[in-house]
Amino acid sequence: MTRDPAPGDGAVLSPSAAHLRQELPADTDVLVLGGGLAGSAVAYYLAREGVDVVLVEREELNRQASGTNAGSFHFQIALHQLTAWGTDNVRDRLLAEVRLHAQAARMWTELEQELDAPMGVHTTGGLMVAETDAELRLLVDKNRIEAEAGLETQVLLAGELRAFAPYLADDLTGASYCATEGHANPLVSAPLFALRAQQAGAEIRTHARVREVVARTPAGTGFTVRTDAGTIRARRVVNAAGAWAGEVARLSGLTLPLRAEGLHVNVTEPREHVLDPLVQHIGRRLSLKQSGNGTFIIGGGWPSAPAPHPSRHTTRWDSAAGNMGVAVRVMPGLADVRVVRMWTGVMAFTDDLSPIVGESGAVPGYFTCIATTGFTLSPLMARLLAEHMARPSSRPLPPEYSPDRNPAGRPAA
Amino acid sequence: MDGATGRYDLLVVGGGPAGMAAATTARELGLHVALVDERPSLGGQIYKQPGEGFVVRDHAALGRDHVAGRVLIDATQRSGAHVLLRTSVLTLRDGDVVLHTEGEPVRTVRAGRVLLAPGAHDRPVVFPGWDLPGVLTAGGAQTLVKTQRVAPGERVLFAGSGPLALAFPAQLHGYGVNVVAALEAGPPPAPRDALRLLGAARGNRQLLLDGLRYRAALLRGRVPLRYRRIVVRAEGGDRLAAVVHAAVDSGWRVLPGTEERIEVDTLCLGYGFFPSVELMRVAGCALRYDEDLGGPVVELDEWMRTSVPGVLAAGDGTGVAGALVAVDEGRLAAIGAALDLGRLPLPAARERARPLRARLDRKRVFREALGRLYRVGPGVYDLATADTVVCRCEEVTCAAVDRAAETTADVNVVKGYTRAGMGLCQGRSCQRQVAARVARRHGLRLAEVPTGTPRSPVRPVPASAVADEQLQDGGFFTRDA
Repeated sequence: MTRDPAPGDGAVLSPSAAHLRQELPADTDVLVLGGGLAGSAVAYYLAREGVDVVLVEREELNRQASGTNAGSFHFQIALHQLTAWGTDNVRDRLLAEVRLHAQAARMWTELEQELDAPMGVHTTGGLMVAETDAELRLLVDKNRIEAEAGLETQVLLAGELRAFAPYLADDLTGASYCATEGHANPLVSAPLFALRAQQAGAEIRTHARVREVVARTPAGTGFTVRTDAGTIRARRVVNAAGAWAGEVARLSGLTLPLRAEGLHVNVTEPREHVLDPLVQHIGRRLSLKQSGNGTFIIGGGWPSAPAPHPSRHTTRWDSAAGNMGVAVRVMPGLADVRVVRMWTGVMAFTDDLSPIVGESGAVPGYFTCIATTGFTLSPLMARLLAEHMARPSSRPLPPEYSPDRNPAGRPAA
Repeated sequence: MDGATGRYDLLVVGGGPAGMAAATTARELGLHVALVDERPSLGGQIYKQPGEGFVVRDHAALGRDHVAGRVLIDATQRSGAHVLLRTSVLTLRDGDVVLHTEGEPVRTVRAGRVLLAPGAHDRPVVFPGWDLPGVLTAGGAQTLVKTQRVAPGERVLFAGSGPLALAFPAQLHGYGVNVVAALEAGPPPAPRDALRLLGAARGNRQLLLDGLRYRAALLRGRVPLRYRRIVVRAEGGDRLAAVVHAAVDSGWRVLPGTEERIEVDTLCLGYGFFPSVELMRVAGCALRYDEDLGGPVVELDEWMRTSVPGVLAAGDGTGVAGALVAVDEGRLAAIGAALDLGRLPLPAARERARPLRARLDRKRVFREALGRLYRVGPGVYDLATADTVVCRCEEVTCAAVDRAAETTADVNVVKGYTRAGMGLCQGRSCQRQVAARVARRHGLRLAEVPTGTPRSPVRPVPASAVADEQLQDGGFFTRDA
């Protein structure tokens, strides 16, 4: 089922300011740190499991990567996952991740029904194009791994691609097509999770920046967390602070294997609908799609100029120029379409680009829920984590996503 | 441009009074200067030259503006400044200015100093029917008349307020347009006000005379002039057919039972101006809030420097004060730039600036006195009803904005939920109205509602003009930890 929220006309599906600014409760079982997609979804799935949960967000809900990304579903193996191509453990890791992607694909098709509201989910299919023969060979290899992991993709040769997508440049050597790719609306997804969490019993608080997370002794007896909105005692905490998860972890003496990077996104004026699928590139940084209102949203991993929070990262013109260069190269019809707005979003890049989801061995009761391809994977990661926290023995989490998988993840001396 | 380095001493943005005055002064001081403007000719809004073939009925009503404008334009063209027309600034950062000239690829130039003199735009006022064809801003009507030789309609109603309110209908009438009435939201000038203005106006006789001349021109033309009345709504199917207006109190709140209806095909709105602060915001300049100057205005020091190193600002874009102030501010900024670049010693800069500062002080006192008389009343934000479209680009109603404001006091979040301000105009038209509704819902003063995050490009630009296929990606996906 596909339903589009009607911007401007429909109800605004988010907790009200009256709820968000209430006093912070004194105690809870689980305290979620971060009001983006991951945190809101963790709060929802925990509340649905009957767990007592409070979420704190330092500013407004959904203001960072969750609300500033382009909303694409990235299920195919991407350029950045192929960096150490050819070695056995990379192959195993890719297989595991593609299985996760296939699971996320199924989940996104059911989310609007589950949350009983439109999220702008469109299963449009996705093309990953190749410009050279070498890139096409990479697509063929990639296709084999995806098939083995249960993600259906299909390699189109040049002529087939021209017939399938006549609006793309006619000298591309081919593309890989994944029918389950598409997009959702990032502006409404996390707030909807937050609203449903609240309705299931969770307490959501904004303008509650976390200042201190102290693990009480003896270990495992919980945490005292001081925020700008008051102090709260929690038996367990979930760090879902995205790009700032490293900073938040350091409050508890933990080091997470991740860093923050700002990405660049462009949007154009609306045009008549011509482009159905999401378009990516196997060799260059591109993500291109046409939204329901006709605008083209173009990104794919071009950098922005850092600025400390609460300032937004500023856009870099060379990123705009390079990003539009690839876009116009792949889809020449974009040439006369006007770019109206550019923005940046800061996201978490884990060192191995795999999610960090699980419980810290060093600080019992301290959980993390962080993913690099966060919009695509966060609802799934949040559900797996919440189910594990509600029923730890029957729902183990994959050890390869443990926050302890990197030696640097041990507490600071 | 210096071809070897692609670098100017001073890049002036805006070819209106402030920009032209700055460019000519900077050239006199020996600076290497570029002046960019997005229009096809110099002059800005106020000095737009008359369209050929128009019957000029009343030269007095045209004012000295186009004469003064011609003089400045000629001086700029003779100055040796490199004038780049049909050129927009898309963004700027650290002395790099990204320019787009119509039909050409985007290019980046470097400048030792950048002076922003973008001018002002009409204050949008939102009421039921404000988006009907036939309703236009005074600036839009003025452009039609001055450059296109097109009268905006057969029966034109003017509604507005502020120091320049009467200039527009007087000018339109002077150009031969049938102005059926002029409505001023502010009070009629009382003798006490005239005395106050005279007190403030030492050395400003000319400005005061301008005001009187506009009024006299309207009276001569038998254009009914009505004070303390505001537009309540515009009616019509495909286009404007009638306007309902009503009396207001001193806060511009409508007095019940005073509505009147007048059949017109054109409504020109002149409720004052907003400084065009988009580039200053994108550059990161510190702003303060002054409703009398049009809302957010840039912070400046005594040499017209903003808080961002290397970026100066002058003219109506720094707070609406009119062309005469703009010219002197532009000259002062040019002196400031020369001083910063080490091309003028401090004593010489002070000496040159002294007469400008003296004039600016006198004019500002006068403008402030005038501004207080014509302060915009808060009732201007109460005219819209639930189904009034507040953001025209994305067709967002007041009701939708109000629903979003239930969840947040942050205009960025409201923008995300409603798309208000995400369209082609980047919120230039709707952001004050949205902020006003957020302020009311959360019991804040308008000044307490932070403006939305500024976004580049400041003007829409074709993808092909942006695209540079030679650029390689940033590579942070593959960076080693």
